[in-house]
Amino acid sequence: MRLQDVIDNAVAEVGRVLLGKEPQIRLALCCLFARGHLLIEDLPGMGKTTLSHALADALGLSYKRVQFTSDLLPADILGVSVYNRNDASFSFHPGPIFTQVLLADEINRTTPRTQSALLEAMAEGQVTVEGETRRLPKPFFVIATQNPIHQSGTYPLPESQLDRFLMRLELGYPHPRAEREMLLRQPGASAQVLGLQQCIDREQLQMIRAAVATVHASDNLLDYLQRLVAYSRQAPEFAVGLSPRGALALLDCARTWAVMGSRGHVVPEDLQMVLPAVAAHRLVPNGDYAGDGQALVTLLQRNVDVIKP
Amino acid sequence: MNAQQQIPRNALVWMIISLFTLAAPHVTRLPVWVLAVYGVAALWRSMVYRGRWSFPGRLVKLALILCACGGIYASYGNMLGLEPTVALLLTAFALKLIELAGRKDAYVLLFLGYFICITEFLFSQDLLIVLYSVLNTTLITTALVALHQPDQHRFNHGSLRLAAVMLAQAFPLMLVLFFLFPRIGPLWSVPIKRHTAKTGVSDVMQPGDISHLSQSDEVAFRAQFQGEIPPRSQLYWRGLVFSRLADGAWRRLRNYEVAPNERRPAPVTTGGEPLRYSVILNPTQQHWLYSLRYAESGQAGVMATADYLLYSPVELEDQYRYHARSWPDAVLEPELSDWRRRTELQLPKGGNPRTRQLALDMRAASASAAAFVGAVLAMFTHQPFVYTLQPPRLGTDPMDRFLFQTRRGFCEHYAYAFVVMMRAAGVPARVVAGYQGGEVNPVNRTVIVHQFDAHAWAEIWLRGRGWVRVDPTAAVAPERIELGLEQAVATEGSFLADSPLSPLRYRGISWLNSLRLRYDALTYQWQSWVVGFNSERQYRVLQKLFGQLDASKLMLILLGSGALVLVPVAGSLLARRRVHPLSPLDHTYLTFCDRLSRLGVVRNPGEGPAAFAERAAQALPHWAPLLQRLTGIYCELAYADANLSPTRSTQLKREFKRGLRRLKRARRPR
Repeated sequence: MRLQDVIDNAVAEVGRVLLGKEPQIRLALCCLFARGHLLIEDLPGMGKTTLSHALADALGLSYKRVQFTSDLLPADILGVSVYNRNDASFSFHPGPIFTQVLLADEINRTTPRTQSALLEAMAEGQVTVEGETRRLPKPFFVIATQNPIHQSGTYPLPESQLDRFLMRLELGYPHPRAEREMLLRQPGASAQVLGLQQCIDREQLQMIRAAVATVHASDNLLDYLQRLVAYSRQAPEFAVGLSPRGALALLDCARTWAVMGSRGHVVPEDLQMVLPAVAAHRLVPNGDYAGDGQALVTLLQRNVDVIKP
Repeated sequence: MNAQQQIPRNALVWMIISLFTLAAPHVTRLPVWVLAVYGVAALWRSMVYRGRWSFPGRLVKLALILCACGGIYASYGNMLGLEPTVALLLTAFALKLIELAGRKDAYVLLFLGYFICITEFLFSQDLLIVLYSVLNTTLITTALVALHQPDQHRFNHGSLRLAAVMLAQAFPLMLVLFFLFPRIGPLWSVPIKRHTAKTGVSDVMQPGDISHLSQSDEVAFRAQFQGEIPPRSQLYWRGLVFSRLADGAWRRLRNYEVAPNERRPAPVTTGGEPLRYSVILNPTQQHWLYSLRYAESGQAGVMATADYLLYSPVELEDQYRYHARSWPDAVLEPELSDWRRRTELQLPKGGNPRTRQLALDMRAASASAAAFVGAVLAMFTHQPFVYTLQPPRLGTDPMDRFLFQTRRGFCEHYAYAFVVMMRAAGVPARVVAGYQGGEVNPVNRTVIVHQFDAHAWAEIWLRGRGWVRVDPTAAVAPERIELGLEQAVATEGSFLADSPLSPLRYRGISWLNSLRLRYDALTYQWQSWVVGFNSERQYRVLQKLFGQLDASKLMLILLGSGALVLVPVAGSLLARRRVHPLSPLDHTYLTFCDRLSRLGVVRNPGEGPAAFAERAAQALPHWAPLLQRLTGIYCELAYADANLSPTRSTQLKREFKRGLRRLKRARRPR
């Protein structure tokens, strides 16, 4: 079975529960293949949880979910050592973070202290509790969801921490046709009930990741990428442009996207497909500029030509 | 209002600065309250910027406009002259600042500023004013530049630099336009100068007129001689001849008062080498030109009158330059016509009886007319006559009072008395007014004649010698003729008594004086080369350079010289731009895009090749396979070049070019 078919299969499988969201599913998979973490920002009830759960199922990964609240403490995620009276010692009770896919639901509802504990774990792939460093399982993939910031009672993630998410996705309302299909379903037929099949096993995941490493990015493409980055740093509409980490993230995602399109090289369209998801949350508009990160990405795409000017 | 429309703080500060610098040269002509309006406007606008005050409402604006118009009318008495209109413009300029809200208003204000900058030249075309205008233009341009730099929230000098560079780049073009652009006469003429005062010697002379004029240190004209400058005692600049005495005042003969056959000057036999000189006359709003006797000028627009004067048929509203040749020793009118003799002997009936009697007595005691003249001059020399800038007022029979009582007078008194005595005794005589002497500027060998050099003297007609100049002032105060007015009235201390700051009063300080003379030499150059560069002169210069001119040739010259000065500027700007060499591959791909755009499918900026090919294939289904193939080749060459063998690469490039050729023949679908 070709890698391409494997991936298409997985997309179709997840698409069974999240109807009409194929581009987002592809991007989420891309993020996972590129070893990044995913931030989904949308209103409640748009299928954030469904997507993450379905992804874990389709990849056959262990899955845990933490609902973030304002009184959640770091220990609630990482785990605690508990004194065992029987053998008079402390034993570590791992927290929900010890899983392969972690859904951090409504991450902006909790305090910065807890947020940062999670983000550290995300960055390093390990947690240190009471002096002992414990490695997290591999692959480790965090899907954080957050409500749009203007909702009350939230602690928005600072830019520096937003940067740790490889992609930010917005799911958006479903297409009316997809929504009708969803409404026609039998009551109670949720993702769990549907019981998704595993489509990608561990080995296939490794193969995909190996393929990504061999994808060729030509000089022409790197020029284009650098022009994009340079524009975001120079143009007056941008207060904060793309960091070198942002540029790397763009290239990683574009490579993965090329693999998902079964190509051995990156074309500009790959870059453009992942650009909104990868760049929008890293760009900060200037005070005078009315648009948001999404608008800045549109600006980038429109003003930086693929061919060297 | 969005951020693009707002006026940045930097631009606002520059605007306020240029507002004041623009008004500054007009200060002496403006009523004080206009200056107050400027202060209030600047204060109001900065308070609006700080958010303390608000923009004026509609009613307030209306009230301000009405007050401004009313104020101008109250201050000047009318609304139509040059000064009131300029004052109104300046007031409106300040008021506009108050309601300056968006970028559109700023444009109005700044472009009005350029216009106000020009209004200074209505009053003076001095070199300093020109330099000041350059400063103003720079400031306004700076504000204009700052207006387009939206993120300048603090006052800074960056815009000034850019504006100066831009103006410097425009300078060569300005020179080309100045020298080559045809000087088209105005389409309509506004009599803007009607209301300004006439300056210089007037055509009516009463005792006291010239001494009044001598209070002024303004420059009347500058003359430059070819060759030696005659000694100052010979520099009698004739401007007007007063032949008619009526109501205690001397007047020149109007054209209709001259007998028809006497209106042209009698032919003069000239001999020897003439004095050649050119004169730049400052605007006088009068007709007469000053020249040494006997002068001819071949110049168009300069006429000669029967009393051997040069005359301009139009009032001199601007600086006027003319050339003249003079033969000082030429005999003027050896034969006097009856009409002329009658005119030059005429005296009002009655009046000054003692003077007339004195003249008759002295004439009877003299053997000849020449001896009589000598006797009268000797009377001025030996009797206690005083030459003074502050002559007492004379009532009726002024000469009787002057000769027998006050005996204090300025040149016009002596000329007046002398001519009256001559005429009473039957010697044809007349008063001549003009300037005497002048200051020689050693820097450029010009003679600067000031208003205080104004002078009146006499001419008498003697049989066989024609008109002879006699200066009775020289008999009273020879130092006036030899050294000038300042020396003549030195003991009195009345020289330029009303202008304590005049640089002419500080001629004793040598460095200051040399600075003044240097500046004056510069002014002469400025006037003769720039201000005096009128259409006639422009035409002459162009003809000399390019031969016979016609409209198309002139246009060609203009465009050619414009290109000549702009191309280097454009070239240097282009050279400074960073060059992105286009790879041959990208070049061919762009050719491909070009071909497609001719078929009606234009690649959007930022559209990737594959996405574009997709779109183009949909629009041109007939060509779809070729488009996909070519795009595939390009993508392979541009993005999949890792394992590309050179032979395959060449092959692909060839295929691409073949495809391009096929595409060239494609027609646009209907």
